[in-house]
Amino acid sequence: MILLLTVTLPFVLLCLLLPTSRLRRVSLVAGCAAHFAVILGSWIYPVLAVANPGTLLALDPLGHLFVTLISLLFLATSIFFVGYHQKVLVSQRVFLACMLLLLASLTLVCAAQHLGVLWVALEAASLAATPLIYFRLGPRALEATWKFLLMNSVGIALGLLGIFCLGLSTTAPAPAATTLSATTAEVAETAPHGEEGIGMTVTALREAAPRLDIAWVRAAFLLVLVGFGTKMGLAPLHSWKPDAYAEAPPPIAALFAGGVTLGAFLGILRVFQVCLAVGQGPFASLWMTAFGLLSILVAGIFIIGNNDYRRILAYTSVEHMGILVLAVGLAGLGGTQSSVLGAQSSPAYAAMLHTLHNTLNKGVLFFAVGFIWRIYKSNRISDVKGALHHHPIAGVIFLGGLCATTALPPFGMFYSEFAIILAAVQTHQWFILIGFIVTITICFVGVMTAMLPMAFGAPSVLPVTEGSDGASSSSFGHWREPTMLLPAAGMLILALALSLYQPDYVTRALHAAADQLTPVPVQTAEIPAGVTTAPDRPNTAPAGDHLEEGHL
Amino acid sequence: MLAALTHPIPDSLHTAIDGALVLVLLLNLAMLATSRLATCIRLFSFQCLVISVLPIAAATASDAIGIHGFFLMGGTVVLKVFLIPFILLRVIRTGDIQREVQPYLGFTGSVVVGAMMIGGAFALSSRLVLPGQAMSTLLIPVAISTLLIGLLILVSRYKAITQVVGYLVLENGIYLFGLSLLHAMPLLVELGILLDVFVGVFVMAIVVYHIRQEFDHMDTQNLAPMKEPA
Repeated sequence: MILLLTVTLPFVLLCLLLPTSRLRRVSLVAGCAAHFAVILGSWIYPVLAVANPGTLLALDPLGHLFVTLISLLFLATSIFFVGYHQKVLVSQRVFLACMLLLLASLTLVCAAQHLGVLWVALEAASLAATPLIYFRLGPRALEATWKFLLMNSVGIALGLLGIFCLGLSTTAPAPAATTLSATTAEVAETAPHGEEGIGMTVTALREAAPRLDIAWVRAAFLLVLVGFGTKMGLAPLHSWKPDAYAEAPPPIAALFAGGVTLGAFLGILRVFQVCLAVGQGPFASLWMTAFGLLSILVAGIFIIGNNDYRRILAYTSVEHMGILVLAVGLAGLGGTQSSVLGAQSSPAYAAMLHTLHNTLNKGVLFFAVGFIWRIYKSNRISDVKGALHHHPIAGVIFLGGLCATTALPPFGMFYSEFAIILAAVQTHQWFILIGFIVTITICFVGVMTAMLPMAFGAPSVLPVTEGSDGASSSSFGHWREPTMLLPAAGMLILALALSLYQPDYVTRALHAAADQLTPVPVQTAEIPAGVTTAPDRPNTAPAGDHLEEGHL
Repeated sequence: MLAALTHPIPDSLHTAIDGALVLVLLLNLAMLATSRLATCIRLFSFQCLVISVLPIAAATASDAIGIHGFFLMGGTVVLKVFLIPFILLRVIRTGDIQREVQPYLGFTGSVVVGAMMIGGAFALSSRLVLPGQAMSTLLIPVAISTLLIGLLILVSRYKAITQVVGYLVLENGIYLFGLSLLHAMPLLVELGILLDVFVGVFVMAIVVYHIRQEFDHMDTQNLAPMKEPA
């Protein structure tokens, strides 16, 4: 636990202190690898991960899943970045140190059980992320940075207000105090007398649910949804996202799309858990589905006709965040188990599956795009045609990532989106069903028409003066190409493998996380036989991680 | 919090707390009305000083004068009253622009809007049922209006540095809000929040500095080349 939080810190120092660029990059990879190793260890030896959930820090299944994804993404990104990084534009020391700090703070986000700690970690994450956007100096990068910083700060401030509202709801005078049992009163009593943070941990809040003031919980949820939603990039407040993704180097954009957004999502989920316990599931779900649909719609509208492929990718990220929130919302509306292509599934499970594949796919796609950008040196789709011709391997990876992100059948997102549709049918949410299908179709058509010519299409002339073949090979050193393509290919293969055959332990981890988001408090009796139940959860993980390791 | 309920707050202290809260409100309006950046920052610094005393007052009221309140006060004073204004003033001094020129909303206009916001905040908080009892009935309305005025400053000014001040005022509003649950948040978290705000402002100051290097002034109006291509 503590090891997990602190393992990256020595490498931060190394990044700051080491004299040469090469050593610093090695230390970046080493830091991410060490973090990933600790994560793997925590799956194999659950003693490392599981702490008492009532404490400030603990890895519950949800946080464990998220931190694993984030760690995997960071490891791949760090390898990719070694190849990608050419000219030192900003201070490389600070840049690499910020990347590792981002990883550390996101780990803290995932491990935080106390909402205050969660907030502090999220804010730290957005601060560590800020210098990463300002990579390509100049007015445009500056504008993107300022937008990101200001919108995120205000959003996160609103999130803090929401958390305070939640805190206020616990101080209810307890009108029914006469009837309340001693145990709940005890929960309230411990807080004032300074027992370390009992009052504001998710578990304590859930336990004290009957005592919470409903109005304040509702206010808290809305504020948190809007506040952390800004950081996640949900629709009305997404405007920093395309700018930041277009200006930050693509590997950093991958970290944003697959990592930072997950942290904010987790923040929303934590408060959502409290809402479920209070019985405000339907209320919260209504808003989440609304935000989700709006995000998908807005993304679709802005994708169509856009000529900047990195901005388009940013909007697909907005789309996928919308889908995530929508899926969780459906879970709160009472979507329960259903069968998707023979596998047991629920909307919450779909959300977790989508999270998993979102992280993998965003990695693949942004890495491929980063590689393509290095070949063509242009953000404009009209300048980038026929990547398959210029660089077949990169073209194939790009195409694979594209198919995965638009949820074509062999890839996992297809299953998760299908499960969402089923859940909508099952709960008779016809408006949501129609809205979801229409909007994701718009996104699909928009992305495909815009980006397919980038792979196929008549090859455009490369900007470098030499002939096209000479340019693509001469602009990279010999070792650069494999270091950039390897993580991309690895993540693509992993994504494909997990879509075709999802091992049991992965399914179990996803279900364990999803169980925390279903309205009924986890009762093993209610889970159908197909799903393995709680007790052997942690022990069964190790084999799966060997597999992940193999793919890397 | 429950302990606070059992001990009624002495009258004189009550008056002092209310007076401090009213002072915070007036400082908000003053910040809206001023055009000089340096004055604005000094007003902010003064506001933070007033706010920093409140946790102590609250702790005295609830006879739980813990180390908690003092630490919080110390942190606020060091970071918000001295360090942050110092950084911001430095950024201004090294530049040559001293005034906010032509904000989206004129100074008189923004004071009027600010006054309306205060009215709205009082109306709103009279309808909110506050569970438990805060140290003063003024606390929540003042917190909400500080928050709103911070937002107003944030959206109605061009200068990056004023936007930073707006953000800080917003943060002050949230801090005031948080005072009503002083005991529910462990000290560590509160200090973490303070530190995050400080680092946030530090990063913002660096970005502002870069904006000035890039454009020769701190006008965010120039940050517009990235409009969405239709």
